[in-house]
Amino acid sequence: MEKLKDALDFSDFSKAERIGLVIFSVFLFAFPWIGAGSFTTTVMIQFLLFSLFGMGWNTIGGYGGQVELGKAQYVGIGSYTVALMMVWWKVPFWVSMPIGILIAVGYSFIIGYPLFRLKGHYFAIATICTSLVLKDIFDNWNLVGAAKGIELPIHDHPDFLYMQFKSDTYYYYFIMALFYIALFYMNWFRKSKLGYQLRMIKDDEDAAESLGIDIRWCKIKAYSIASAFVAVGGGFMAVYNLYIDPASTMELSLSIKIALMAMLGGAASLWGPIIGAAFLVPLDRFLGSWLGGQKGLTGIDFMIYAALIMIVSAYQPRGIWGIIEQFRKRGH
Amino acid sequence: MSFLTVENIVKDFGGLVANNNVSFTIEEGEIVGLIGPNGAGKTTLFNCIVGYHRPDSGKVTFRGKDVTGFRPFETNRAGIGRTFQIMKVTTGMTVLENVMVGSFCRTNNRNTARGEALHVLGDLALDAVKDYYINELPIAIQRKVGLARALATKPALLMLDEVASGLNPTEIEEVVELLRRLNSAKKITLFLIEHIMEMVMKVSQRVIVLDYGEKIAEGLPADIVKDENVIKAYLGEKYAQGL
Amino acid sequence: MLIADALLQGILMGLLFALVSLGLTVIFGVMDIVNFAHGEFLMLGMYSVYWANLFFHIDPLIALPVSAVVGVLLGLASYYCFIKYLLRGPAIAQLFGTFGLMLFLQYFAMFLFSADYRMIDKGLLVGKSLSVGPFIFDWTKLAAGILSLIAFAVVYYFLHKTKTGKALQATSLNKEAASYMGIRTDRMNAIAWAIGGGTVGMAGGLLVNFYYAYPMVGILFVMIAFACVALGGFGSIKGVFFAGLLVGILEMIFPVFGHLIGSDFLGPHFKFTVVYLAYFIIVVVRPQGLFGWKN
Repeated sequence: MEKLKDALDFSDFSKAERIGLVIFSVFLFAFPWIGAGSFTTTVMIQFLLFSLFGMGWNTIGGYGGQVELGKAQYVGIGSYTVALMMVWWKVPFWVSMPIGILIAVGYSFIIGYPLFRLKGHYFAIATICTSLVLKDIFDNWNLVGAAKGIELPIHDHPDFLYMQFKSDTYYYYFIMALFYIALFYMNWFRKSKLGYQLRMIKDDEDAAESLGIDIRWCKIKAYSIASAFVAVGGGFMAVYNLYIDPASTMELSLSIKIALMAMLGGAASLWGPIIGAAFLVPLDRFLGSWLGGQKGLTGIDFMIYAALIMIVSAYQPRGIWGIIEQFRKRGH
Repeated sequence: MSFLTVENIVKDFGGLVANNNVSFTIEEGEIVGLIGPNGAGKTTLFNCIVGYHRPDSGKVTFRGKDVTGFRPFETNRAGIGRTFQIMKVTTGMTVLENVMVGSFCRTNNRNTARGEALHVLGDLALDAVKDYYINELPIAIQRKVGLARALATKPALLMLDEVASGLNPTEIEEVVELLRRLNSAKKITLFLIEHIMEMVMKVSQRVIVLDYGEKIAEGLPADIVKDENVIKAYLGEKYAQGL
Repeated sequence: MLIADALLQGILMGLLFALVSLGLTVIFGVMDIVNFAHGEFLMLGMYSVYWANLFFHIDPLIALPVSAVVGVLLGLASYYCFIKYLLRGPAIAQLFGTFGLMLFLQYFAMFLFSADYRMIDKGLLVGKSLSVGPFIFDWTKLAAGILSLIAFAVVYYFLHKTKTGKALQATSLNKEAASYMGIRTDRMNAIAWAIGGGTVGMAGGLLVNFYYAYPMVGILFVMIAFACVALGGFGSIKGVFFAGLLVGILEMIFPVFGHLIGSDFLGPHFKFTVVYLAYFIIVVVRPQGLFGWKN
């Protein structure tokens, strides 16, 4: 009960932030009614999905300060669990998604145990490696469709059990619900014991250990929470796209994007991943549709995208939220 | 049975013997000082007890429990708190949040943790700075925050690594007062490394002296200052002969 | 027989891998930064030889210095225009920064050269092979292996015998102490990037003789290089040489084992999985690397 209260309690934020949240929420609810086109709806769905990923990453990457670059493997686990169970045994989404989460969490414990013996660059590269190994396996495993991927069966009629709808609006509201669950969870998380302990670990590992914190275990817990978040998003991707392959679910660039959104927005803040996704997803999409399609300009969109990453990391490593906070401090 | 028993601790860093066969005991409620010249192996000994280093041989027993080779978080949970000589200047958490991390060691509830952290802060007269970040505070206050953080884990034995270094005489006076109060009012056993002789002699009931990794003397402060070996270690062979 | 052949082929590839990884480990040693864009330097080295060959009909082997020069320039440009500023930030920003550089160079190449796979089809050694007893070697791979070895030896000599090289080593051992002794860290960093870029650019020039050049080719090799650097112990020059050989042999020999026992899971598709797994296991079990000295 108290946990629920903590999750819904935003009172320690400034007034401006709370008003911002309300306006943002009204916009989210009203979005499908203000005559949005199908392209903008897709962008919004992507935005909510990546916010969800980013909030998950923020537990271990932002609050815990670990450079985790292997989240894509959990997108893969989530989406493949949902897709395969649906194709093989016709298991409804609502059953397969929790199973996907369980598998992701179980897998994250197995991987996390050796992984968190490592620190710094060793850790960062090892997370990439684990993700690439899984991708290699799925790329070559004929049983799961190998590199060709798998298509989900399309139903004739909309089916809530299998999350099949005619209109994107339903998917929009579903991912929005997930987004809010994630937001409330994170609002509780940042105030929880684990949240505090992780921030201590990020600040000073030796001191954290002297305060009775089992560093490795804390990191593993945060890592598996992050993995659960990402697996949920993966499951959604499967039913939304109706087609998945290793390249779209387990690619290194996806892992990087997830971490990048949180970083760009501002790691270790509740709003960071949302701001990052709000910035990068539309940019990615619009650049892609305006420039990517033009003849002779292939690659320009990603060059701009990459240049942006470079500029942010060199000049404002604390992200957009860092800039905002700087201005606020100056105001005082 | 003693409160803390350290038996024959040996720690060798690839040929450099930092602790050689060190043994001593501490009784409940005592204030014990650990002194020695630079590089005598004081901090290494602390780290061996708390668990940052695993001793090559020897045994540490705390309240009847063998804690040799425990990880630092395990010794902390067993009731040993420690502070660091150098407090890492961090920007991520406020003073209150820092101390709350300490209280979270004994509770899962945020409100309880917060209440206890506020209590400890009040006890150390740190209320006024609770919303500051560590990097915004002078060094004397930073030290106190480190102490508050360790106290919040409710240790039965508190090990303090040079808690007074870099402080001015008035501040040292305050710390001495505070340590005595912790010892008498909260019944916390104190074990402190100290460089400033004056302070050790004032606050400790018993002193252990290390030199080149070995225990060279142990006794009452008044006797220690007269001990020939200790004078030699501190002032050098020649000076001692001249006495 | 199969195994002996795989062993020899693996050694040749391993020598090339060692050269690819050399720059990464030098840069890591001197400034503690992991350069994701390392593979893209390789890719641009490959393209430079490819274009020199196509437009000016220069033999790929003679065009090798071109790729080395391109690599050095790239390294210096990256350092002075970008990495220098990146160093002020936290480690995570550095990782993302070099990752951004990697993406930028990838898509820059795609923009300029399109996504086509390109391979050199004429050259002194292209398509020729040498048979020694039962073994058949491609001349291109043989040359790549031998020239890699020579290049590695030259850099090794430079690092251990010249004044600048020694200064570089001192910086990588202890940056602060080195700067007290009057070694300019900034200059050392630039030299590390020049070496890093030059060696990997040259490796690209050798690789393009028998491997496709395409904008995304770098990521595969950078992962191999990461594995080699970790295996050798981050920052260790000697270590990376043996690690390169080991990875080269592993990569060739596992498919052979797979073939022998008829298992699909050790098939050629998984040769890089083996490398990733090797990295993972090595850093977990022995974080200082097989021959490591730097923590």
